[in-house]
Amino acid sequence: MPLIRIDDQEIEAPQGETILRVALKHGIAIPYYCYHPALSIVGQCRMCLVEVKGAPKPLTACSTTIGTLPPGKKIEGKYDMVVSTKSETARKAQRGVLEFLLLNHPLDCPICDQAGECQLQEYSYTFGDPASRLEFEKVHAPKRVDIGPHVVFDVERCIKCTRCIRFCQEISKTGELTLSERGVYTRVDIFPGRELDNPYSVCTVDICPVGALTSREFRFKERVWFLKSVNSVCQECSRGCSVRVDAYKGEVLRLVPRDNPQVNGPWMCDYGRLVTERMKGLDLAGRPLLRSGAVWQGYEWKEFGAALVEKMAGFPALKSDSWAVVLSGRLSLEEMAGAQAVSQAFFERSAGSVPDVAWGEDDELLIRKERRPNLMGARLMGIPVGEQNAPLSGLLTGKKAALILREDPVGDAQGAEKAAVETALASMDLVIVADSAFTDTARLAHVFIPLAGWHEMEGVTVNFLGVAQKTARAVVPPRDRRPFYEVASLWLTAAGHEAPEPTFPGWHAKVKESVPGLAGTSIKDLLPNGLQVLDAPAKDKVKKGEGA
Amino acid sequence: MTEVLKLLTRNVGKPNSTHVDAYMGSGGYESLMTVLHKWTPEQTLNEVKAANLKGRGGAGFPAGLKWSFLPKGKEVLKYLVCNADESEPGTFKDRLLIENDPHSILEGIIIAGWATQAAGCFFYIRGEMPAGARIFQKAVDQAYAKGFLGKNILGSGFNFDVWVSRGAGAYICGEETALMDSLEGKRGQPRLKPPFPAGYGVYGVPTNINNVESYANVPLIIRNGAGWYTAIGSPSAPGTRLFGISGHVKRPGVFELPSGVTLRELIYEHAGGILGDRPLKAVIPGGSSVPVLRADQIDVTMDPDGLKSVGTMVGSAGVIVMNDSVCMVKALLNLMEFYAHESCGQCTPCREGTHWLELIVRRLEEGGGRPSDCDLILDVAGNIMGRTICPLGDAAAMPAISFVQQFREEFEAHAREGRCPMRDVRMTAAI
Repeated sequence: MPLIRIDDQEIEAPQGETILRVALKHGIAIPYYCYHPALSIVGQCRMCLVEVKGAPKPLTACSTTIGTLPPGKKIEGKYDMVVSTKSETARKAQRGVLEFLLLNHPLDCPICDQAGECQLQEYSYTFGDPASRLEFEKVHAPKRVDIGPHVVFDVERCIKCTRCIRFCQEISKTGELTLSERGVYTRVDIFPGRELDNPYSVCTVDICPVGALTSREFRFKERVWFLKSVNSVCQECSRGCSVRVDAYKGEVLRLVPRDNPQVNGPWMCDYGRLVTERMKGLDLAGRPLLRSGAVWQGYEWKEFGAALVEKMAGFPALKSDSWAVVLSGRLSLEEMAGAQAVSQAFFERSAGSVPDVAWGEDDELLIRKERRPNLMGARLMGIPVGEQNAPLSGLLTGKKAALILREDPVGDAQGAEKAAVETALASMDLVIVADSAFTDTARLAHVFIPLAGWHEMEGVTVNFLGVAQKTARAVVPPRDRRPFYEVASLWLTAAGHEAPEPTFPGWHAKVKESVPGLAGTSIKDLLPNGLQVLDAPAKDKVKKGEGA
Repeated sequence: MTEVLKLLTRNVGKPNSTHVDAYMGSGGYESLMTVLHKWTPEQTLNEVKAANLKGRGGAGFPAGLKWSFLPKGKEVLKYLVCNADESEPGTFKDRLLIENDPHSILEGIIIAGWATQAAGCFFYIRGEMPAGARIFQKAVDQAYAKGFLGKNILGSGFNFDVWVSRGAGAYICGEETALMDSLEGKRGQPRLKPPFPAGYGVYGVPTNINNVESYANVPLIIRNGAGWYTAIGSPSAPGTRLFGISGHVKRPGVFELPSGVTLRELIYEHAGGILGDRPLKAVIPGGSSVPVLRADQIDVTMDPDGLKSVGTMVGSAGVIVMNDSVCMVKALLNLMEFYAHESCGQCTPCREGTHWLELIVRRLEEGGGRPSDCDLILDVAGNIMGRTICPLGDAAAMPAISFVQQFREEFEAHAREGRCPMRDVRMTAAI
């Protein structure tokens, strides 16, 4: 393996690897814009210029590869390459390129959403000069170009790194973007008649190193340094992309993909990301509710356990086979354990089944048609998974009581199926619904238990590849909604049953008893990129991108 | 006075010179017949290598060596490209050949095709030369009719095609890889190298690209032998060159001369001296991209070594002559406008820097310059030089740096006086 030296570090680097990748791997900071680990190398921003001994001019670290010199020709007797990232030559080159980049940049950081997470700002502080030598009117360009439903383009701020263009060509394979015009008027442009409207369009915002591409949903919402971030897992399909949830004052403002080579690479889909928008329309109930006739009665949590036990005692005729128990692939493993314990204690039976809700098609990148994130988890917990898109009316019809967790069979169904579900539920003696929103199904229930949303609670889910990942609490539930495992502890202890602590660790310990892949692991093993608890089918491995 | 040689230009000015029959009447296509019937591809390639034919596009890379970079063998698909996108300011030599003797270029291309066993050649001609494109297409059609192109050429079993493709008016498409992107129907933008065209060229196929004049030399080398060829001109760059002289000379035009001719002789003998019999002020010896020379630097030979001794290059051999009525700031402004307009915009230094240089030079010329502007031009140009993917950045930086270095006093006078000090001279020179 070639031996190279970058600054003061001696490194054994693989033949053919680029200087930039080796440097990043060894913690040597070389500034760059157009390079992205998951995209092709174009070497056109020229920011990563470094001095390579023996080369007549500075070379781009992103595109210069490492080779082997014959024994007699080694530099200083042993090196195949000697690179300096901080020499006067390298620094002058970097300073020069940065000055050019800022020349016609509007410097509107005070109103730019990227401020605080802008590579142009960061490198300017590190490598740039404090003052501009330009004494002319800057070249102006349009500031608000609607190039797609979720992406707004500020042409002036763009540094023409072409990452977005390459993303659309190489990753989403939709090819909406190109460069147009020439010289200083060069701009990223959308082909005539096209829109930047592909299932992954907001990824262009993620990889834009400056504030040129901004997300329509997030722009102007909050300065990024005020955001409170947690690492979590998207729950919108069975892929379970690793995400960072950014929230401010109890509101989730955006989801950003976290680079996880074994699940999603550096990308995520727009549908998953836009959960922030879908959450806005939800009817959030804050307190547990019991209904008598048409009147809903609200309870404090500390009284609710007893009230629920009392309510159930009113139906002594209900036997184990009178109950329909509908669980959901949206439940975390711990919530499933809670549901299992509740079923055993109150209905004297094992927990019911999990419906497999699917729509659309799997695509070649990330999106899975199975829309429930934890189906694999249900299987691991020994909970049967129903046939794909099987109507739920079959499970409910003829039963006298139902416990429905995180599913909305009424709201999700249409036509005859909807009527059948409504009829079945209306004829029941006791319907208990637990969900994070007050759904159409909840309206037909006798008991409604408000559950925390996935961004409001801790829980472990297992994606279709068998990777277990943990969600985290990004915001405190605006009203006192709780994960189902907490409710289960409350319910069980109110009836005098044994129950784990009403906490995530308490129930996670119970999960570990039933999932072999988790035996002997700790929560830390699931962070940050998850733990393979089942062997994945090889064909489903995703393309890897490492540490952008 | 060095004798004007009529080798490349042997047919220029003859009646009907673009017609295949006229070309064949003066021995045309005999070189092609020789290689197809008597020589192996290796022999052909070796002869061109031995002739040390230097590329005529500007960089002067040995053509035979370039051909040998292509993968060998008939079974590997390979293409040739003829770069006829002649658009360097002050350069108009290829146009002369294309419009007057297309068959000499075509014969050279087919011989190169035989030597490299390529499948065909894309003839990429500048969009602003519609006549040239028409004439060359006609020549190609005639060559097909005579059996010099197509399947089984002259019974040799060798198949070769030529496709004429017109550019759309971008200077950058004369850069070999931008040309290839343009040929493929993409935005013309230089590619990052490596991979080089010999490995990954047009449509990803191994490709060899040469200039029009380079190909036109090939039939001469085949007919007369490498030994004959290397005896002409200077040893470092044998053969004749087509010098295009423009600007303030009495007889502007294209002159075919051995490469060892001196710049002084070129200007004062062949081009008839300075227009208006005024003093010479400056010469750009090799197309607008190379460093400028002062009047006292013209006693050098027009070959790589000679021009290197005064810090400049042969480039495309387009000699731009300026007499004492020229304002060097205004002349540089003209060039800077050109490069800022033609920068493809992908590399930051060239995209931003060429525009900035234009603004600084314009400010100087229009009277708003600062005393520090000379150093600013040198610094900005220095930040472009050697920092870009293709040589357009260098091509813009070299004139900027050399104009300021060679004529600094004039630049400073602009700043000092707050006006163009040459204005009155320019108005009274009336030439």
